[in-house]
Amino acid sequence: MEQAVHLDGITKRFPGVVANDDVDLAVEKGTVHALLGENGAGKTTLMNVLYGLYQPTEGTVNVHGETQQFDSPRDAIDEGVGMIHQHFMLVDPMTVTENITLGNEPRKWLGLTVDREQSRQEVSELSERYGFDVDPDARIEDVGVGVQQRVEILKALYRGADVLILDEPTAVLTPQEVEDLFRVLEELTDQGKTIIFITHKLGEAMEAADEITVLREGKNVGTVPADDITREELAEMMVGREVLLDLDRDPATPGQSILDVEDLVVEDDRGVRAVDGISLNVRAGEVLGIAGVDGNGQSELVEAITGLQLPDEGTITYDGVDRTTDSRRERIEAGMAYIPEDRQERGLVMDFDLVENGLLGSQHAADYTSNGRINWDHTRDHAEDIIEEYDVRPPDADAHAKSLSGGNQQKFVVGREFARDPRLVVASHPTRGVDVGSMEFIHDRLNALREAGRAVLLISSNLDEVQSLSDRLAVIYEGEIIDIVDPERVTEEQLGLLMAGQQPDAVPTIAADGEGRQ
Amino acid sequence: MSDDGPSQNGDDPPTPDSDDRWSQYRQRLIRLGQTSVGERVLIALSALVLSIVVGTVIVTVAGLMATCRSPVLTFGSTTLCYDPFYVFNRLFLGALGDPFVGGWSPLNAQFAATLRETTILVFTGLSVALAFRAGIFNIGTQGQLIVGALAAALTVLWAGSLVSGALALVLLIPLGLLAGAVGGGFYGAIPGALKAYADANEVITTIMLNFVAVRVTLYLVRNHFADPTSQATQTRTLPVEGQFPSILFDPRTDFSLLALLIALVFVGGVYYLLEHTAFGYDLRTAGIQPAAAEYGGVDSARTILTSLTLSGALGGIGGAVFVMMTLGKFQTGIPSYGFDGITVSILAGNNPIGAVFAALLFGVLKSGSNVVAFATNVPPQLVGVLRGLIILFVAMPEFFRIIGRRLSTREPDSQATATAGGGADD
Repeated sequence: MEQAVHLDGITKRFPGVVANDDVDLAVEKGTVHALLGENGAGKTTLMNVLYGLYQPTEGTVNVHGETQQFDSPRDAIDEGVGMIHQHFMLVDPMTVTENITLGNEPRKWLGLTVDREQSRQEVSELSERYGFDVDPDARIEDVGVGVQQRVEILKALYRGADVLILDEPTAVLTPQEVEDLFRVLEELTDQGKTIIFITHKLGEAMEAADEITVLREGKNVGTVPADDITREELAEMMVGREVLLDLDRDPATPGQSILDVEDLVVEDDRGVRAVDGISLNVRAGEVLGIAGVDGNGQSELVEAITGLQLPDEGTITYDGVDRTTDSRRERIEAGMAYIPEDRQERGLVMDFDLVENGLLGSQHAADYTSNGRINWDHTRDHAEDIIEEYDVRPPDADAHAKSLSGGNQQKFVVGREFARDPRLVVASHPTRGVDVGSMEFIHDRLNALREAGRAVLLISSNLDEVQSLSDRLAVIYEGEIIDIVDPERVTEEQLGLLMAGQQPDAVPTIAADGEGRQ
Repeated sequence: MSDDGPSQNGDDPPTPDSDDRWSQYRQRLIRLGQTSVGERVLIALSALVLSIVVGTVIVTVAGLMATCRSPVLTFGSTTLCYDPFYVFNRLFLGALGDPFVGGWSPLNAQFAATLRETTILVFTGLSVALAFRAGIFNIGTQGQLIVGALAAALTVLWAGSLVSGALALVLLIPLGLLAGAVGGGFYGAIPGALKAYADANEVITTIMLNFVAVRVTLYLVRNHFADPTSQATQTRTLPVEGQFPSILFDPRTDFSLLALLIALVFVGGVYYLLEHTAFGYDLRTAGIQPAAAEYGGVDSARTILTSLTLSGALGGIGGAVFVMMTLGKFQTGIPSYGFDGITVSILAGNNPIGAVFAALLFGVLKSGSNVVAFATNVPPQLVGVLRGLIILFVAMPEFFRIIGRRLSTREPDSQATATAGGGADD
């Protein structure tokens, strides 16, 4: 078959970093090709080279059999290469049509004005041709994320793209929207377009792609047909060692209730009820998962529970004591550990070394401070223990937090929080942006805490994560808990509908006390 | 360089790394952000030398353009009025009392004048630095110093009328320092409370309170505490027991080694507070990354209030020392030690120990300027230009270092990959 794209020996160096090291990539015309790798593996850099944003230090770019020299994305677009970035480049108050034709509008009256009628017609023809369900007159700010993504794709197609690069296209989508996207990709390849999509999610690569190329540390580890490979083999290619993806675990033996949240209401900065009357409880020895699309009140719920934001209504009872208005420090001292969703903003002080970061949250605890004086020797030992136990690399307590990779930063935060010997752990997106190896490790630790009889509240938008770790799974939508389901029996489709605020049939719910499954 | 910028395309993201030149500057800034203490000292010294070279050129050009009766050099019709080498010789060596001339003693009057300025600047530098470390820009050290100065003067005058002799000797100076700390601390607590509980920007409030301090002290002294025997707006002279003894140095120099020692004790104290106490940890965390401090259980309102109070107290003690060592009374029109403290703190990278050296440089420049004015015919405005040049040169690397640190904090990977990615792997 004809090759749509052939990258030959691409090396891209930045000062002090080799982002791509002699990478070959061949993509056949009319196929979906997944570019899989962990964060920092060089996927986006490689695609930016193909799209003309970067010029390769060495190597050549061939498109449709011809060697090309792209000095800018304009050159790439002229040769039929389009890219859809992770963050959309759309003008919110303008219509779909205006966004798609922006910069290439059909003109009339000697090019003095835009021919709106023709624009509209061209866009709706294009949309129909590929089976996109897009209203050309809708304003961008009024349509959902999935539609916005299709508008981005249409924009590239309008400019004559034959090869479409999608950078992490599923990061912002619900499971249903992901399904829709994959259908769109299929339609596009049927009509002869070529798709390259960047992802770090194994399942998506296997589901949507015809071929998968794995990058690790800037090198091409191999290209495999998606049908002939298992998840375990792919994970091993990504990480470079064997990875256990599934946890073996015993059924939960929950004890007394540790956290009770009653009718909680939290308003956000604009006075909107981000959390709108949530009640839930977490018992010792169980993991309560909260699934939902980001931005449905998870952050506000977590901040109210951990004491970073005071709720407007409702009560929070922890270990039998009403702690609704307790300060953050009082909650830490009461044995509440919290893995925040943003480790670089909240969880770590980026300019502090690991010794100082190991103290964060414990700076007034008697273990580390007496009469206001910090015992730095003891604090250093503590940090070194975390580094050793949680395999933080490099193993250097004097390293600044900002010099660590995301996975190692997260391992340090997790280690510090678990070292508090907490009765309750609130883990918010504990493996977001973390490599597969660290993720496996963090899951293992969360599970060990549950076995040790601790209560765990796990918030994640990663369905596989909440499904495999939770004993009960609450679905949050627009600040309310829609349902609490049995994670082992609920289907991904049912979860997706619940996350979109709908009520599918025959959902295996669990009563709030955890007893009496339907 | 092959790229002519992707920014020409309206629908593409501007990527900083695509511009090789900008990326090089970035790397250099980030490198500057990671310099060690030794490297920073070396950079500061190089900057000092460079500023003198540039200053020499300026003095020479000015000297060629000026007309004077007895030029230093004459080539035909051109005359050079100022000798740049002599100007810098006076500015630095003069401030130290000519250490390379025979019979030099460190106890000379000019060196005492330098140390006198240094002592006050250590306090104001510490005051600004402490607030800076908590992420607060305290422009109000000047006002806090003025209030502390008046509080110290009035307290010592009042207590001096009650006690005398040996008791006064051991009591009055500590009491004056305490009064300065309380006055300045109170005056720092006002913007502190406004920021902590009413979210008022401290830059605005502290600047405004500086004016309030000047006017209120002027009113109080003129109308209630004026020295009836003087034309100037000032209080009566403090009792001798309430003035710092000039150990070793000539009493006429108005400098006290004891005051300098106290300043150094406070340097150690602030360093200890920042680096070795839980409160200092809270303060630094709140200053560097407020969201993380909140996460770590730091009460941000209390930290803001406490650090501005402490910062004000340090400024107030500076004022007390100025009254009890330099003036011997309170007088309106106090020099701008508080504002100079901001520069001292920036030069020192907000490090309490660095503040000693920055204050010394400032002290040298201040007292050296007087020597230059006395020994040469160079106009004082030109000396001001030279001082500004030196401070600018020494402060700029520190300024760029702060930018470099910001850059490296924002992007831990020097590589522009998709770190903002959404969910984790499955």
